[in-house]
Amino acid sequence: MPASAASSLDSQSKEHARKVRALLFVSFGWLLTLLIGAGVDALFSLRQLDTVEQQVSRRFSARSQALSTIVVSVHVYDDQLEHFLLQDQLPAPNSNPNMIAKKIAEIRDALLRFPPDQFPEEQVLLAEMQNLLSDQQNSFATILTWDPEARQQRAQQFIGEQLLPWRARILEISQQISSVDGDRLADENLALALRFQSMEDRLVWLVALALIAGVLMSLICGWYILRLERQGRQRYQALARSRLELEALSARLVQAQEEERRSISRELHDEVGQSLGALLVEVGQLSKLVPSEDRVTQVQITHIKSVAESAVKSIRDIALLLRPPMLDDLGLVPALEWQAREISRRSDMEVEVHSQSVSEDLGDETKVTIYRLVQEALNNAATHASAKNAMVTVVQGPDKITVGVADDGDGFDPGRKRGMGILGMEERVRRLGGAFTIQSTPGKGATVTAELPLRPVESLVNQP
Amino acid sequence: MRKIRILLADDHKLIRGGLRLLVEQQADLNVVGEANDGREAVSLARSLKPDVVVMDIGMPSLNGVEAALQITQANPDISVVMLSMHSDESYVLRALKSGAKGYLLKDSAESDLIRAVHAVAEGKSFFSPAVSKVLLDDYVRKLKRSGAEDAYDLLTPREREILQLIAEGKSNKDVASLLNLSVYTVETHRSNIMEKLNLRGIPELILFAVRRGIIS
Repeated sequence: MPASAASSLDSQSKEHARKVRALLFVSFGWLLTLLIGAGVDALFSLRQLDTVEQQVSRRFSARSQALSTIVVSVHVYDDQLEHFLLQDQLPAPNSNPNMIAKKIAEIRDALLRFPPDQFPEEQVLLAEMQNLLSDQQNSFATILTWDPEARQQRAQQFIGEQLLPWRARILEISQQISSVDGDRLADENLALALRFQSMEDRLVWLVALALIAGVLMSLICGWYILRLERQGRQRYQALARSRLELEALSARLVQAQEEERRSISRELHDEVGQSLGALLVEVGQLSKLVPSEDRVTQVQITHIKSVAESAVKSIRDIALLLRPPMLDDLGLVPALEWQAREISRRSDMEVEVHSQSVSEDLGDETKVTIYRLVQEALNNAATHASAKNAMVTVVQGPDKITVGVADDGDGFDPGRKRGMGILGMEERVRRLGGAFTIQSTPGKGATVTAELPLRPVESLVNQP
Repeated sequence: MRKIRILLADDHKLIRGGLRLLVEQQADLNVVGEANDGREAVSLARSLKPDVVVMDIGMPSLNGVEAALQITQANPDISVVMLSMHSDESYVLRALKSGAKGYLLKDSAESDLIRAVHAVAEGKSFFSPAVSKVLLDDYVRKLKRSGAEDAYDLLTPREREILQLIAEGKSNKDVASLLNLSVYTVETHRSNIMEKLNLRGIPELILFAVRRGIIS
């Protein structure tokens, strides 16, 4: 995929992700706001209602208290005034005018203490009561001026014509005010109940709305998550498939390379090499046929022989490098020993091979892989790490074969430095289902280890 | 005089042709058959009963080593000369373990084949001179680099004598009568030699002898 297309796809998906995030943020924010709003509203409404209810009950209890004070005071006043008026005919005269005046003041006080937030009907009634009280005050002032005789004469008349109707009237007004207040109280309670009802309705609506929105959002989110999961799974499958394909491809590449090498090696060794070998034999025959006195021809023949011999040697070396016939002729361990001696001859590094219970009938793939791995590791050690000694170990277990190549060379940092050779080794080992590790620190040599299962992964190895 | 009967086994017709040409120039040698691969060599050796089999070490279907093993196990009177392109120890040892008596490099077949055939027909060993040179070089280089002692120096003159005789293919009894010793003494010497040189079996002993030029 071209880089620009990839980056545009990438930015497209980023844009999409941002949109989805914004949408989620807004929806959840809205839902949360709804819930918080409903809660706060309920709280405030409840508190408000509570306050209003308290106010109402306070107002009405203040009214009824004032009224009852008035009623009681009126009764006491009436009683005391009667006693005062009739003091001459009664055995225990115990009312004095000051006390009576005080009662009138008490009634006035009670009137004044009546809550100020009066309704119009109340105002009218209270004003009338005020007037009645003023009249009574005036009447009482007049009574005080009476001497005992006049008092005796007019007492009965005053009580019957003025005091009792006045008292009746005051009580009647009190009754009326109380009844007005009762109506008012009922009204206000009704209003309160209505407000409570409306708050309840609002709350139900809000909660229902939040519930619906929540359900809707969880449905959408669930659907979206399922879709993401499905996409993720599809993507993972595609990735795994392409990785498998890649592995198969690289396996086939390695196999093709090996086959190519084998066929070129065979071709060189069998056709060219054997023809040259036969040529050498023929030349030997020829040199016997030519008389030894014929120096010129003998020298010529010797020259031809040496050219043919060097050609045979080159061909053999090339063929050996391409595909060592030792593997087929000798088996794995002798081939590795051969390899070790070859390297020891060619370089300054001495190689030792230790093997333990390695069977003869290893699979061809496994043998070639181990052979190439050891070859690569030894070449690295001898040419790049200038090692002096190397040790090859091959140990066969019940279900795997372990190969190790350790050297005392310069070492390297395996985390950073990975050449084609190492990658090739790793690739060969991995496609047989094995594990490959390199341990090395600069200055302390290197150890290459590979573990190969004895039953290689058939599907990868035996691709047509 | 009875002619030495030879079976040639090589998967290359050209090589077989060249070898036949070489052999048939000798009056006392006779090629009785040619095999194209190891399997054919085994069956021809069984039916023709040659004195010597000259065999390429790497052949299709059954390689020379396996074929030599089957032939010498079935009929110990048949001597095998192995033809090889390789002078490496692994090949030589493999050939020796398979029962071959001669080991001939193809490069030098033209000059050494006749001598090799004669030697093995008499029950002796034969190795191309180049082989023992490579083996010795490897051995000396290894000693030098590891700083170890040459085990051969540990042997007494008597042990060296016995080593040579055993490597030439003599039995304990032969050695005993040749040196005028008891068989028991020869056996003791022999196990001492094996221990000093750290060898396992006669093929390794022969290899060592070839390496040191004790036999050729």
